[in-house]
Amino acid sequence: MANPTSVAVKTSLRIGPQATVCQDSEIRGEVIIGPKTVIHPKARIIAESGPIIIGEGNLVEELVTIINKCDEDSDRGQRVPLIIGNYNVLEVGCRLEALGTGDYNVLEVKSQVGRNTVLSNGCVIGAMCKVVTRETLPDFTVIYGKDHERRIQHERPQPQLLQLDLLSKVLPSYHHLKKARNISRQSSVSSTASSTN
Amino acid sequence: MELGDVKYSRADFIETASGNKVSRQSILCGSQNITLNGKTVIQRDCVIRGDLANIGIGRHCVINPNTVLRPSFKKFSKGVSFFPLHIGDHVFIESDCVISAANIGSYCYIGKGSIIGRRCIIKECCAIAEGSIVPPETVIPPLSFFSGTTSAPYEELPECTKDLMIDITKNYYQHFIPS
Repeated sequence: MANPTSVAVKTSLRIGPQATVCQDSEIRGEVIIGPKTVIHPKARIIAESGPIIIGEGNLVEELVTIINKCDEDSDRGQRVPLIIGNYNVLEVGCRLEALGTGDYNVLEVKSQVGRNTVLSNGCVIGAMCKVVTRETLPDFTVIYGKDHERRIQHERPQPQLLQLDLLSKVLPSYHHLKKARNISRQSSVSSTASSTN
Repeated sequence: MELGDVKYSRADFIETASGNKVSRQSILCGSQNITLNGKTVIQRDCVIRGDLANIGIGRHCVINPNTVLRPSFKKFSKGVSFFPLHIGDHVFIESDCVISAANIGSYCYIGKGSIIGRRCIIKECCAIAEGSIVPPETVIPPLSFFSGTTSAPYEELPECTKDLMIDITKNYYQHFIPS
């Protein structure tokens, strides 16, 4: 359901075909969700200072926070989009603020990625690890352990196609799903939104 | 040493016929697949994903706020499904935990903020320290104390742990009274 929460933030949600977005998730601001993506209940996607664009085949589990909130000093009110690529897995409780995320990344349980980091492809951020440095992580980086050690892995993490398939069949029987509703009042935005189901 | 009374307002909790006390602010998905065996307390903001697979919770369990009980994913030769989650009796789970285990034995204590990885099997009378991360597919033998993320040999707990856990959970339930 699209509910404007404040005057400045108009909720506009576009959902690609075959995506499963549970009603219980909190989505605020301008959010575009790609096809085949699954958003579990209790996920929070908050596009406060810029749109959030989520690619295809992503798995966003419960209590995940994806937040586009500008740093007062560095961004100065520009509306920068937060872009998430394809086939990423965001496990329970993680927090993603990075403006650029590539494909096939895995953010394990309760990990955090700050706004200034750029995740490229195939990275794995281990459980409870926090990455807030101003850098671009090389492809296939794995960050693990309580000392946040790093190494490069040889293969990218497998895309969770089977799990996405199963969830898109199981979740609709237990949850109401959000349908795409584009209530953005800007006339310049094209309203050819594709809806779910 | 008795625990002090913990009062809750009647409007906040649902009490079932078998004495389970479930907070109205907790999120129980797929509640037809969730079995609470009696006198279990589930605090606010817990997320229990019964929609993914069956979840069975034993008697006199206590689940503190903000914990996530989520069945893990399993690839079988014939296909994929979510693995049922079983929690034994008299288990005390602290707040902010994320539990994806397959099986938690009876009389266990799971410390605050810990992460139990996918398909773990935690046997009876174990204790998991605060903030620890149990890697996926670990099997923790009975009467052990797991802390941090190490795979070092586990410390042993004394045999009275079972009676201690029964004491703690029963006392908690008896002192959890409506105001």
